Amino acid sequence: MKITKEIIQRIEGEATLELEWEKEQVSFAKIKFFNYRGIEEILKKRPLLDALALTPKVCGICSHSHAIASVLAIEECFKSAGESLHVNQKAKDIREIALNAEKIQNHIKWYFFTILPELKRVSDPTYKGNAFKEKQWFQAQRAIMDSLKMGAHFTGQWPHGSFVMAGGVTCDPLRSDLISAHGCLDAVIAFCEEHFYGMSLEEFLSFDSALQVMSVPSALSFGIDEMLKHGFDRLGRSFDRFLALGESFMYEGSLKASKTTVLGADVKYVHESLDHTFFADKNSGYTYSKSAMYKKSFCEVGPLSRLMVAKEPLMRDFHRRFKDAALTRVVARAVECAHLLWRTKALLQSIDLKEASLIPPKKEIHGLSGEGVGVIEAPRGSLIHHVVVHQGIIESYDIITPTVWNLGNGDKQNPSTAQKALIGLNSFTKADFVLKSFDVCSVCTTQ
Amino acid sequence: MPHKSSIIWLQGLTCNGNSHSFLNYAYMPSFAASFDMLYHPLWCGAEDFMSLLRSDETFDFLILEGALSHDERLIQRFNLPFYEILDTLAARAKYIICAGSCASFGGVFRLRDPEKITGALFSGKEKGGYWLERNNVINISGCPVHPRWLVETLLALHNGEKVLLDEFLRPKEVFSYLAHHGCLRNEYFEWKVDSKQLGQKEGCLFYDHGCLGPMSHANCNKILWNDVSSKTRAGSPCLGCTEFDFPRLALYETQKNMSLPQTPFGISKRAYYTLAGVAKSFKIERLEKKLIDEDN
Ligand code: SF4
Ligand code: SF4
Repeated sequence: MKITKEIIQRIEGEATLELEWEKEQVSFAKIKFFNYRGIEEILKKRPLLDALALTPKVCGICSHSHAIASVLAIEECFKSAGESLHVNQKAKDIREIALNAEKIQNHIKWYFFTILPELKRVSDPTYKGNAFKEKQWFQAQRAIMDSLKMGAHFTGQWPHGSFVMAGGVTCDPLRSDLISAHGCLDAVIAFCEEHFYGMSLEEFLSFDSALQVMSVPSALSFGIDEMLKHGFDRLGRSFDRFLALGESFMYEGSLKASKTTVLGADVKYVHESLDHTFFADKNSGYTYSKSAMYKKSFCEVGPLSRLMVAKEPLMRDFHRRFKDAALTRVVARAVECAHLLWRTKALLQSIDLKEASLIPPKKEIHGLSGEGVGVIEAPRGSLIHHVVVHQGIIESYDIITPTVWNLGNGDKQNPSTAQKALIGLNSFTKADFVLKSFDVCSVCTTQ
Repeated sequence: MPHKSSIIWLQGLTCNGNSHSFLNYAYMPSFAASFDMLYHPLWCGAEDFMSLLRSDETFDFLILEGALSHDERLIQRFNLPFYEILDTLAARAKYIICAGSCASFGGVFRLRDPEKITGALFSGKEKGGYWLERNNVINISGCPVHPRWLVETLLALHNGEKVLLDEFLRPKEVFSYLAHHGCLRNEYFEWKVDSKQLGQKEGCLFYDHGCLGPMSHANCNKILWNDVSSKTRAGSPCLGCTEFDFPRLALYETQKNMSLPQTPFGISKRAYYTLAGVAKSFKIERLEKKLIDEDN
């Protein structure tokens, strides 16, 4: 048996992919992350609210997601101690706008800065990448900036804004902020219409057939053509098992889907595994990444999962044709981005600024004891924060990030989602792209 | 062709926030006209990293993001101990720029193991971090670094200008200001009107909500974040993320001594409390009311 070790570059951070080969095909893969920061340990013995400021440092590309998961966990601590906080619709809307801004920038960044250059590299190994060189790179960068500027009207800054607080949000925006944010969002929509989709957002969102999307010249159809050319419509398939634990405007409750059957899900069936990590065994472990499972099985999380449980028609059509192949996974981000732009526009129009931004808890936080779980849908999938607090001080803080669902390490009998997707591939180039189709984030994996 | 300066960007123990913050720079084409990014871990494909590492050519800027460590069990890159890569590249760089508080002082991640995890030249406030000494390091602290702090420093150096540094090796143009300067709540601060609760435009966050704006060196409220706002403008206290002791314990609480808050930077305690007492004795009706009064 041949074993190769390759560095995966141009992802969030860095990973090593150790591939086992049999008869020129990948028979098993180990995904290794080799750096560790330990936010969970750092939070121990700190006052509870410090989590709001420090958990965003888990990941520079989804810092708002962590802040929001953290505040939900803290609000549950109040609930477990007997005080149910009321969070106004205004505050909920602002949290959602902030989260959407983060998802939109993530999807655009990933598609234009990772997927397109990677596809060009698959066609031509001498291709040097597009960063700081091509016109479209600068246009995408501007759209990313505008998306975050839109959100910053409410969050103060991105990354690492701290705009949430138990009981609501800290900002108290004016109508002028809404108008300015709206202007930013329209600029992002204009970019996506012209470059990403090649048509108006409304038209794109009205589609329910893959063929409609593929026939219009755009960055998206270019990517789809390239993926078809290299067989990514069949490669990179995993278990066809999806999980979305956090809320969304597109579906209700926590859901899971196996192929196309959608059922309810509950966060209580989530479990973390330390197998193969340095935490379990300093010597035989090989990664800092934990794994997450639902009722002992690995599930895929992220935009594709969210759209599958929401029964989104266009995605369902892609899935009908290509199953959970790399292509479907990539397209899901583009499709979700369109929905998020539309939804955020509606939120900016309907938000009621007259409501109070925050209704503070009555209970003194210094005396608070209890525990809480906060679950949200971050750009890459379900994110869980679990905190135990005693007399206002954090006793333990556990974070399960989206990438530990997709990129965990199982074994040959029970491989993780990404491991399964890699088995059977016949080149490193393909393995590299299939792995990247999960939007790998090594920083959030090894918090 | 005008001369371009070359950059190699390296990540230690980081959240990648400084890289993503950098992408918020509003005039990227202008930046790209003066710089060549030879390598950036997240986006660049221009040069193969291993050939860069093995070459013996010098380059202009080594940008460091993230806390540093000599411990190879904590961090490796390219299957090599991180220190090997860092030492090799540092020897060939004209300037070493620490982007963010982690690379400057150790930041959040230093807290887990201050013996092993440090900034480049400082470990917290103490001199002596990853290196004991080096004369070509500039610290641009912040969690994360503001894109303008980074780009403007690089451009000044690229143009051959001298960048004045403070005692923590931070560019004075940025770090002579306090986060407090330009905060929209300044008038409330002057007249000691505290914010009754978070989530409102009115009131200062210094007295009860832990705002460190008056003791944090940074021009955030002058140049703003994402061009439009800042933590304090969004109603959240300054966390002091540009200082060597970031993050302090209890970030949302005002540290008090006999129920009096800390004094702002550079003012004697006694003078401050006397003045504060006088200011507080005025009741300024306008500042007690909502900023936008609906009844009027
Ligand atoms: S909120 Fe903070 S920065 Fe603003 S005036 Fe008060 S102390 Fe200064
Ligand atoms: S406002 Fe304070 S916390 Fe925010 S970046 Fe500036 S110094 Fe850091």
